[in-house]
Amino acid sequence: MALRRNRRRILYVTGKRAYFIIVAFVLVLAPLWVSTALGQVQTRLRIIEASNVGSSIDPALRDVHDDLGSLFNFTSYKLLKDESLSLTPNRPSEINVHKEVSLEITLTNQQKKKAVYQIRILRQGSEILDTKVRLSPGKTVLIGGPKHGQGSIILAISARF
Amino acid sequence: MKDSCSSISKLLEKYFDRETTGDEGILVQDHLRQCAVCQAQLKSMEELRTTLRAPVDEAVQKETFAWVWQKIEREIQDRAKPSWRESIRAWFGLSFPFRRRVWIPAVAVALLIIAIGSPLLFKETPSQTELSIVEYVQSDTHNVMVFESERENVAIIWLFEGTEGESST
Repeated sequence: MALRRNRRRILYVTGKRAYFIIVAFVLVLAPLWVSTALGQVQTRLRIIEASNVGSSIDPALRDVHDDLGSLFNFTSYKLLKDESLSLTPNRPSEINVHKEVSLEITLTNQQKKKAVYQIRILRQGSEILDTKVRLSPGKTVLIGGPKHGQGSIILAISARF
Repeated sequence: MKDSCSSISKLLEKYFDRETTGDEGILVQDHLRQCAVCQAQLKSMEELRTTLRAPVDEAVQKETFAWVWQKIEREIQDRAKPSWRESIRAWFGLSFPFRRRVWIPAVAVALLIIAIGSPLLFKETPSQTELSIVEYVQSDTHNVMVFESERENVAIIWLFEGTEGESST
């Protein structure tokens, strides 16, 4: 009899725990589900000036220096802007890089761990570059070249999931 | 009754019931050939049995046992084959309503396993094109270089303006 009572109690606790687990599961997944449903992707955009004037490298740009070191011999890397963009699919965002150059970025496709962007670089409103890139966690695209003073502008774009 | 009759009479009942051994049976048969008293005793036993069995046999022959068969058939019908739902329920040892305390955690665990396992099951091996970061690059006005390493997680797109390309690389 005592054993039967204990067994019932254990079953009851198990049932309560099961409800708790289900509720916790839903609460944890709900924000993720909402974010996915909205289809928004947090996108980090860094605007960098690379030049051979001076030799100061912003500590936050060590990764960019390491990536570009084998191709270009810039001695100075300066962070001009670090922005976090919340992009919605098929809604272009325009960011002013400097007085003549602007960037138009559009999230064209978004999957679970992959975001596809169309990026256009404009100089005085005219397109000078059109590209489509596919970014997954930990991947970065560096778009460089447009002149800025004595150096060049580099755009570092990465997605956050 | 002769002297040996007393010893044979003990065996006679066994003989009548066909329970004697081979030797005992021969002994009784030899004695019966010589002893009229024991023959008479055996005969009276047979008559008694016939007398007792006759009314029983007669009653059994008259009885058709129809009511017994009817009862058996009724029992079989009552235990007719259950529906598939009842069979499944019985197989799982569940009674209606379902035992929620058992089923809810079981379903939750099953959903969790599906949620975790399905991406692994349906995981596709990405092709080389899918692994690359840059899908396409186009510029009508400038020379463009694309550098993408297989090992590194970085793709570089460089737009050459004027003679900068020659001086930088």
